[in-house]
Amino acid sequence: MSDPLLKVAGLSAGYGDMAVLRDIKLEIARGEIVALVGSNGAGKTTLLRALSRLIPSTGQINFTGRALDELTPDEVFALRLVQVPEGRQLFDQMSVEENLLMGGYRRPDSAAVAADLQRAYELFPRLKERRRQLAGSLSGGEQQMCAIARGLMAAPELLMVDEMSLGLAPVIVDLLLDTLVAIRKEGVTVLLVEQDVFSAFYVADRGYVMESGSIVRVGPAKELAEDPEVKRAYLGI
Amino acid sequence: MQLLWQILVNGVLLGGLYALMALGLVLVWGVLNIVNLAHGALIMLGAYVCYYFFTGLGWDPFAALPVAMSLLFCLGYLIQRWVLNLVIRAPMFNSLLVTFGLEVVITYLAQLLFSADFRTVNPSYAGANFSFFGATVPWVRVLAFGVALALTFALWLFLDHTRIGRAIRATAQNLVAARLYGVNPRQLYALTFGIGAALAGAAGALYGVVSQINPYIGAGLTGKSFAIAIIGGLEKSLYVLVGGLFLGVVEALTALYIGPTYTDVVSFGILVLVLIVRPTGLLGRTA
Ligand SMILES: Nc1ncnc2c1ncn2[C@@H]1O[C@H](COP(=O)(O)OP(=O)(O)OP(=O)(O)O)[C@@H](O)[C@H]1O
Ligand SMILES: [Mg+2]
Repeated sequence: MSDPLLKVAGLSAGYGDMAVLRDIKLEIARGEIVALVGSNGAGKTTLLRALSRLIPSTGQINFTGRALDELTPDEVFALRLVQVPEGRQLFDQMSVEENLLMGGYRRPDSAAVAADLQRAYELFPRLKERRRQLAGSLSGGEQQMCAIARGLMAAPELLMVDEMSLGLAPVIVDLLLDTLVAIRKEGVTVLLVEQDVFSAFYVADRGYVMESGSIVRVGPAKELAEDPEVKRAYLGI
Repeated sequence: MQLLWQILVNGVLLGGLYALMALGLVLVWGVLNIVNLAHGALIMLGAYVCYYFFTGLGWDPFAALPVAMSLLFCLGYLIQRWVLNLVIRAPMFNSLLVTFGLEVVITYLAQLLFSADFRTVNPSYAGANFSFFGATVPWVRVLAFGVALALTFALWLFLDHTRIGRAIRATAQNLVAARLYGVNPRQLYALTFGIGAALAGAAGALYGVVSQINPYIGAGLTGKSFAIAIIGGLEKSLYVLVGGLFLGVVEALTALYIGPTYTDVVSFGILVLVLIVRPTGLLGRTA
């Protein structure tokens, strides 16, 4: 990992006076799928918020060689560091298609946006069927598809997906995981934040384990999945 | 019967203008969650822009309308950028106070600059009219009505079918998601407030040709716009149009059957009634 796509060092962040993250170190290389796992309240979502600059932080965040500290969320987005947030956060009163088009909001090339829209519909034929439907009236699985497709419409360098599997049937989770593997083949790097440790380590190359605001384990996903401590803590084995 | 028909026609024509007045208030309320108490003052400024271009430079009032819109857009953009953005995350009470302060300042300055006298914009064709199934209809009113409808339609097209319009709606629905997807809220809010002010400017320019103006008309017009927002809700420009027409007709009927001095009493009576019976708005959702 000579030239990582994302490099985080000594990052601390929190809400007001409450510190949540302490001294986080994390690196992601181009083309990787990296899983970030940890129990409820460990601080995974907080880390993504800091990376997207929704909350302030101290320490370094480098993305494609640029420091993000001083940037606003829309500027980070313009650098193609894109987040599919926890709870999907769709534009409920807009159609599926409009949600997807919002993903391409900052892209000047409308021909490329139109092409990516077709691509998104190929990935998720369900969304094509329902493209005129209001996003708020989709089923949970369809909403998650819509959220991921909206993220892809931004032509991300790094796509950060938070709690993708929450509340979804295993078939849908598998389908979404397959999609992530497919888009990685097209050059998109993925940071997958998951509670479902087994699924996450199954598709990921490397994994990070977070506990109460700190990274406690790093390593190849296969090794972490076999690690007796991780198994005991997260798989209940 | 003849009289009633005439009154209905008058009411509808006035209602189109009312709808345009409310449109800017509704847009700003829905997207920024600010009830702009200075909205009527902005309408008043639009009317004076039109007045001075008409009397000073001899422009046709309808030609002065785009000028009023542009000037008010700039003013609105600056007000949002430098004043309201400071209180945008604060509770609504704060923004109410600030916009109330703006209304007082603008009205006071207008009185200094323009004097408190009543003014009228009377183009040469002001007296021209035609008969519509027996009702006498002045051309200027029809023209004002047409322009108001066209602008309402244009706003709808803009919001529903352009990239920026989509971003404005997205921000109104989910601010966090909009920020995560590349929207700069400060810029977008300033733009939205600018558009709201431009609509107020247009409404003012039209108001000047159908009615008398003075620096104090603002507060009452804010009230009417607010009533329409409550009746129509904040979701669809179409509902705002219906709300405006409704208020126009009700006021005209009140003037006929109860007396012209009671129009405000009746329209605010309706407002209160709607708030009691359907606090979420008669047609669409209010905040
Ligand atoms: N907006 C907020 N304001 C204050 N505290 C917050 C806020 N969001 C999260 N927290 C706190 O920060 C800590 C970390 O929360 P975070 O959402 O980052 O955890 P998480 O790892 O994403 O958990 P989960 O797996 O349940 O999503 C928790 O103690 C939480 O209560
Ligand atoms: Mg979380």
